[in-house]
Formats: sequence, C-alpha cells, structure tokens
Amino acid sequence: MKDWRRLRPVNRAVNWLVGAILLGIVVATALYLENPCTQVEAAQGPGSYEWLYLPRSRYLSPVALAMSHDGRHLYVACEDSGQVLVVDTQTDKVVDRIPIGGIPKAITLSPTGATFYVSDEEDDSVVEVDAKTFRILRTIHTGWGPAGLTTNLQGTVLYVANTLGNDVSVIDLKTGRELKRLSAGRFPEYVKLSRDGSRVYVANLLARLGAYDKPPVSELTVIDTAEEIVTARVSIPGVIQLRHIAELPASAGGYLLIPFMRPKNLNPLVQIAQGWYMTHGMAVIAPPADPAAGPSSYKVREVLLDNIDHYYADNFGVADDSAEHLALVTASGANVVSIIDTSALDRLLATASPARLRELPDRLDSARKFVVRRLKTGRNPTDVVVSPDGRYAYVADRMDDTISVIDMPALRVSATISLGGPKMVSRERRGEQLFFDARFSHEGQMACASCHPHEGLSDGLAWSLETPQLGRDIVINRTLYGIDGTSPFKWNGMNPNLETQDGPRTAHYIFRSQGFSERELNALVTYLRSLRLPRNPHLAKDGQLTAIQAAGKAIFFRTRTNSGEVIPLRDRCYYCHSPYTHYTSRVLEDIGTATPYDTVHSFDVPQLEGVSLKPPYLHNGEAPELEDIWTKFNPKDRHGITSDMNKVQLNELIEYLKTL
Amino acid sequence: MTTIAFRRFAFSLSMFLSCFLFFAGSGVAQQPELYTKWTNYTSADGFPPGQVFCVTVDGPRVWAGTRHGLVLIENGKVKRIFTPRDGLAGQAVMSVAVDHQTGDVWVGTFGGLSRYSGGVFKNYTNLTSGLANDLVYGVAVQGKFLWVATAAGVNRLDTNTGDWKIYNEFNAPFNEPWAYGISVGKKNIYFAVWGGGVLMYNLAHHYWKPFMDPDGEMEIVLYRNQGLIHNIVSAVSWNSSTHSFWASTYFGLSSYDGRNWHNYLTKDSGLISNFVNSVSSRGNQVWACTQKGLSELDTKTNTWVTYRPNAKTGKGTIVITPPDGKQRTLSTATSLANNYIYAVAFGGKDIWVATAQGLSHGTLESGATR
Repeated sequence: MKDWRRLRPVNRAVNWLVGAILLGIVVATALYLENPCTQVEAAQGPGSYEWLYLPRSRYLSPVALAMSHDGRHLYVACEDSGQVLVVDTQTDKVVDRIPIGGIPKAITLSPTGATFYVSDEEDDSVVEVDAKTFRILRTIHTGWGPAGLTTNLQGTVLYVANTLGNDVSVIDLKTGRELKRLSAGRFPEYVKLSRDGSRVYVANLLARLGAYDKPPVSELTVIDTAEEIVTARVSIPGVIQLRHIAELPASAGGYLLIPFMRPKNLNPLVQIAQGWYMTHGMAVIAPPADPAAGPSSYKVREVLLDNIDHYYADNFGVADDSAEHLALVTASGANVVSIIDTSALDRLLATASPARLRELPDRLDSARKFVVRRLKTGRNPTDVVVSPDGRYAYVADRMDDTISVIDMPALRVSATISLGGPKMVSRERRGEQLFFDARFSHEGQMACASCHPHEGLSDGLAWSLETPQLGRDIVINRTLYGIDGTSPFKWNGMNPNLETQDGPRTAHYIFRSQGFSERELNALVTYLRSLRLPRNPHLAKDGQLTAIQAAGKAIFFRTRTNSGEVIPLRDRCYYCHSPYTHYTSRVLEDIGTATPYDTVHSFDVPQLEGVSLKPPYLHNGEAPELEDIWTKFNPKDRHGITSDMNKVQLNELIEYLKTL
Repeated sequence: MTTIAFRRFAFSLSMFLSCFLFFAGSGVAQQPELYTKWTNYTSADGFPPGQVFCVTVDGPRVWAGTRHGLVLIENGKVKRIFTPRDGLAGQAVMSVAVDHQTGDVWVGTFGGLSRYSGGVFKNYTNLTSGLANDLVYGVAVQGKFLWVATAAGVNRLDTNTGDWKIYNEFNAPFNEPWAYGISVGKKNIYFAVWGGGVLMYNLAHHYWKPFMDPDGEMEIVLYRNQGLIHNIVSAVSWNSSTHSFWASTYFGLSSYDGRNWHNYLTKDSGLISNFVNSVSSRGNQVWACTQKGLSELDTKTNTWVTYRPNAKTGKGTIVITPPDGKQRTLSTATSLANNYIYAVAFGGKDIWVATAQGLSHGTLESGATR
C-alpha cells in the first residue's frame, strides 16, 4: 500500500506545474487572440479578429476561374491552398475540392469540357483533371513557372505560359510531351485562344528590357496555331502589367481587351498628389484577319478606366458578355468590377480623330463614355467569367476566399459565395490584404502590389521616388521576394527596417495619404517578411552545380587575379555579397555607378538571391543584363576587380550568380 | 505448242525490255542535272549592292545576308531589307539559320547575333550576353540549342534556359579560335575553323575531335588523300546520305567518310579554283563555292560541272568534266550574277547562290541534262 503522505509533495508539485501550464495557455491565448479590429473595420468588417498566426495554406486565395460548358459547375483555382474547388452554380455550394498541390495559377477547359487543365506554378507542371469525376488524370511537365494556359480548338495541343522561363510550352496532349518552347516576352502570365482558333495570344506582365530612362513598352506575343510559331510581337507602348485577355465578337469590333497599368514613372513621384500619375486601363487591339500577319498589322489603342478624381487600380481579369455587348474588368486594387459597354467603346474608337486616338491613353475623361457601372466586389478581385447563358458573371475575390456573383441583366452583385476559407484573419493575411489594397493611396492610384505584381515581384521600372526635380535620383524598383533580413532598405539605405520603409515614408512620399496605422503596418511587414523567392530553376533540384556553375563559384570566391595578384579583400565578390547575409553586406558602397543626376554616390548593396529574376540591374536599372554590369559599368574595377577576367570566366561567373 | 512458244517469246521480250529500260534509265540518271536558267537579284531589283555572303531557304521565304543588311525574298520578290535601323545587330550579315520548330530566324552579323521573331529583332552582343565575340560567321540550330561560330570561339546558347557556353582554345582543341562555319549532323556537330581545321563535337558524349592537315601549314599536299587538305577551313558540310563531311579550304576541297579522306584540287579534278569559300553537300551533290565560279561534283558519276558567267555577254558557261577528263562546254542564255561565289542553298530542286554581286536563283529546265 502506498504512503499517501509521501506522495503528497509530489502531487503538489504536479498541481503547480499543471497550474503554471494552464496559466501559460491562458496568457498565450490572450496574446494569440488580439483585440477586435477597429482600424481596418472598413476593410475587414466589424467584429473581426486578427490572429497572430495561421498557416498561409489554410487560406484559399481564388485566383482563376473556369466554367463547365453547361454552366453547372464553376472551377476555382486557389493558389494558397493548392486546390481546385468545384462550385455548384445552382446551389452556390462547394461540392468538391481537388488537391493539385503547389500553386495553381490558371485553369482551362478542354474543348469538349470533359477535362480541365490546371497550371501548378511551383511544380513546373500542368495537372489534367476529369471534369466529371474530378479525378486527377495525369501531370504534364512544362517550362519554368507555368501560369496561363489554353488548348487549341481541337483539344490536341496545350499552350502554357511559363512566367519564369519567359516562354510558352507547346504540349502534345496525346502524349503529354512538350513539343517545343516558344520565346515570349518577359514574364508571360495569361494566354487566350482566339475565337477562330487561329491564334494564341500571350500577355506579358513585364515590359521589355530597354533604356531605363524611356517609357516602358510591353508585348503581346501572338502564336499562329497552324504553324505553332510566333508570328507577331505586338508592342504596347507606355504600359506594363498586361493581364488577362478577352476577345470581343466581330459584331462588337472584334477587339482584344487586355487590362494594364500605365505609370508615369519617370516623373517625380511627388506629383502623385496631383493625380494622373498611376493610371489604369486596357489595351484595345484590333487584330488582322491573317494569323501570319506581322506586328504592324495589329492596331493598338489604349484607354483608361479611371476617373479624373478616382482611380481603379490594378486591373486584372476581363471577360465579355457577347450577347449584351458588355465587358467586365476587375480592378484588383479597388475591389471593383467595371462594366464596359463595348458598343460605346467601339463607337469611341471608330469616331475618334487620329489626334484624339493619340491622346486617349492619357485621358481620364473617357471612361465615363463607355463604363456603365462600377460594382463593388470582395477584396482583391482577380479573374472573372461569364456563364454560358450570360445570366451571371463570377468574380474571384482572392483576399476574401469568396466568389462575387453578378446578376448580368440587373448589373448588380446578387450573391457572394463563400468558398470555405478560415473565418480568422491572421496578421500575415491581414498584411496581404493591405498589400493589394489601393484605397490607402491618394485617390486610390496604387497599392503595394501595383509596383510589386505577382505578389512581390519588381515591376522592372526605374522610378523618380523622392527628388522633385525631373530626371534626378531615378532608381530601379526591387523585388520583395526574400526581403527579410536584408535591411537597410531603399537604394540610399535610409530606411533601417521595413516599418520605416512602409510606414510614414510610404504615406508621405508614395501614397500621399494617411497611410497605414501602426497595427496595419505591423501586419503588412509580417506579410512582406513572409515572401519567399520561388524555386530557382537555374539550380538543379539536388543543389548540385554544373561544371560551368562550379567554375563560376570559384571565381566568385577567388582571392587572386588571373595573373596571381592578391585581390584586396574589399574588391572580392563575396566581401560585399556575403553568402552569410543573403549575399549583401547590408551597407552602402560606391562602385562608381552614380550618374551626374544622382544626389548620392553610395548605394545599398543588393542581395543576390534570385538575381536572375531581377533585371534590370544597378541602382538605376541601367544594366539590362547581368553582363552589362561588368562589360559596361565597371571600367575602373570599382565594382570588384573583374577586368582581368576573360569572356569565358565572365560567363561562368554569371551562370553561378543565376543559381543563387 | 504454239501457245507455249508464244508465251516464251513474250516472256523473253518483256525481260529484254525490262533490262533495256533499267539500263537506259540508269544511263539517264547518271547524268547530272544542269541549271540552265538563272534569275538574278541585283541592285536593279532593289537588292542591296555588293556582296551576298549567305543565303538560306525557308519554304517560300529566302533570306539573304548581304554586306548591307538582311534581305527577305518572298515568292520571288524582294519583300524587305533589314538593317541596323530596323534593329538588326550589324550591317554585314554573314549567316542565317531558321529554327523550323519555333520559326525564329537567327542572324549572324559583324555586330553580334540577332534573333528575328514575330517581326521584332532581339540582339545578343559580346557586351550584353554570353556571346564570345561580335564577329559572328556562322549560326546553326540543333534542337533547343543554337550554335554560333565567332571570331573568338564557338558559343552554345540553350534557348530554353538562356544559358551560354563558350568553347575556345581554353576548353576545346582549337588551334585557332576563329570559327567560320557550322554543320549539324545527327550525332556530331562540325565546325570549320580558320587555321584550325575541322572540329567535331560529339553530342552524346560531349567530346571534341580535331581534324587537321597532317602536313601542318604546308600549302602543298605531300601525299594525296592523306588527310584534311589545309587547316584554313572556310566551311564544312555534313552529308547525311553519305555519312561524310566536306570541308572547303583556301587550298582545295576535302571529304572524310569516317575512314578515308578524299581531296580535290584543280590540277586533278574539275574543281574550278582551289580557293573555296564554302561547300554544301546533299545526296550525291557537292557544291563548291569558289572565287572563280560554282563547281558541282556529282559523286555518283564522278562528274564535275562548273557554272561561270561571262562578264561581257552576260551569258553563262557550263563546263562538264567527266571522269575521263574530256571536258565539254555548254552555253546558256542566263547565268550567275558573278563568278565570285560565297554560298549556296537549296530550295527543293532549285538552287540559290550568293555571289559577290547579287543573289542568283537557278532552276532546272526539263531535259536540261548533259
């Protein structure tokens, strides 16, 4: 028999321990569950809570839509949960969840509607799904970072835009093998098969690499489906971020509609307070009848969808309702769908004088002539589709995990379908919502995502950020991927942390508004810190370097020149680009790249991780390619001693840098 | 009996006729076809003046690289002349290769490499890409790879990944880095290297093999067919039918079938000049582009045919040299634009010839045989 008196002290200790654990749980819960949101009630809704942490994969983030041919099912690609959801459009309920894995980015149906294809940007693949049983049939290998996709009219060939590869995979659907890759522009994201099936249009998110002090020129790449070759690279001047593509029927002019952003990035950013700095619209392109015709045969017009005193930032999705001559364009930063009367748009373009057509891309007073309605959606509307009978349109509200249903005859949002995402909003998720929200900037001209599309990428443009004089202190935008731990920020290193970078500075110099509250700023910074670089396709999956890459690594870490002289420590690659600190020394260095138009001469050493994703290079984007950094802009060996290197060594060094 | 005799007679007659037709047919096939009708594109037709360095046929399109830009001929008409003002990397175009998979046209110039795709040029230079040198003499497409012959070695561009590789005297057996021409075979790629002979790159096992003149830099041949005739090789052409490559040099013509070398000089063949700018071979034809005319060797009959223009009359001369050496000469109403020949390309049965004074298009006339 046990002596309970001897056990008693032990039980007391256990009781204390249990008590302490319970107390800890209570405190932790209190910390975990913060006060009800007040600052962002307008955006978040009253009574909602902000959780300290919830895995991102718990959220859905619907980003792409497709409808079954009978209109019964809506397929929703969710990039955060890695799923495709099947929504019954009669009950507005999710009836199936198909695990795709990775990051589903786009979805398209086969011509028969028997199967659909989902791109997985993370896994460099496309998943084929049976549209009846919702079973995964096979996985098809693609190029790097697949996003938009479409089949040909016969359903025998699949075209996939590879964002990281800057090309289009042409895939034989019979064998599932890639036939070829066609070079696209930069960061091709969405594709569209023409109504007659003769062409595939490819919209490139980033503008062509060009002179940093000239307006950007974007490209619509046109593939002739008969020959499966690129027949036209259509220039769309002055704009960036081409998104989804819609093709109007011939009766409405037969135009292609492609949402874009039209920035005035070479003007000092202080002028944002005067408006008309970041404008948002769409390209209206009349394609020629001949699919083999060259780019000069495409008539390119540009119109803005903004109003004079309010902007509809970050146009994203586009769809047309042929019967009613309407088109819908989502403004993902404004949480709005703009409804466009395509007949009025056609009239405007047909009757405008040549001088007027030249002005249109910059006129803020033209949208009222063809935009018939602005409908409020959920947060961050991305893709939009119209049901086959034209009765409803569906909008993917990425940051709400919902679908907004638009009653097309009434032109109003008739319902919101919940896709079943978490009710709780984590701090990181809140930050992500803020990242996409343009309402924090003056007249809603821009969100963080406006300059950092694709969830943190750089837009590749040089901007005149703070100096009010024209042409002074132009600096290139930088990606946010992998930004955590790389402080200070800004090219002049003035911001010691992200809170400073995105707090009052952003409010005063960029947004020209009240900016974010402290609470919102914390959330935004949490989100920014969570951004990771995509898998580096230049590096083998097992991390092994090729012979050339290994030779380049040896050059990166070399201590002697080719003639055997010791390279001073400060002139070695790894001194400023230390592998222990994300390949940056986190200090300012003067490498002789300042121009007479710069007011400072030392610049923040950029981190090299993901450097292949970051052209153009140097503080002002003067170097379109990595080679330019050393062949043109390091004449006095101030950017490391490199002048002794021969061309083979330079190539090797670059091939290594691309693996970082 | 009569029936049997008749049957025997009919059978014998049919056999005789069959044999006659077979040998007669063989006799006809042994005669090389002659190009007797020539259409020339010169400055009078809107064609740039001066040299045409290369020509490439792509279906109905013909691309001609000239001293003054890249010319596109479509359906027999000069459609467009591209110059650096249109975005071309350099004015002098030395080589053109069409990627039939993608439709992209790769252009080697003396100002770098250009890709013409979808109506837009994209340029690659020594300063802005991994290109070894801006003097680009040759380009060739091998699947997803583009091979580039430059004055500082050979480049390979992976068009899917954008990765560049340089092969030169540091990592391959280049006696000289000055690469002129490229020919893509199924298993190997062959490079013509000025002063460096012929270099072969094995695609499966990634090794290099040089073919050099056994007597070094000597400009005479000590032993006939001992090896490559000279190290100054201007072009190389792989013939997939005969599994041999042909190398043109400034001192004669060579071929190698993997076992034996065969060399050709003016003194012992119908070759019109030992100064051979380039060579192209297909089937049983070998075309040697020389400074004195265009020579063709029909390997099946071992007959040489040389085409030359008469500068005074504008008419053409065809010199036929059969194996017995008894030359015969024909005259044609039309002829090549110039007797200084840089290159040829084939478009079906037609032949396109790049000369020092314009582009020539040769067609066969029915019955135009020896």
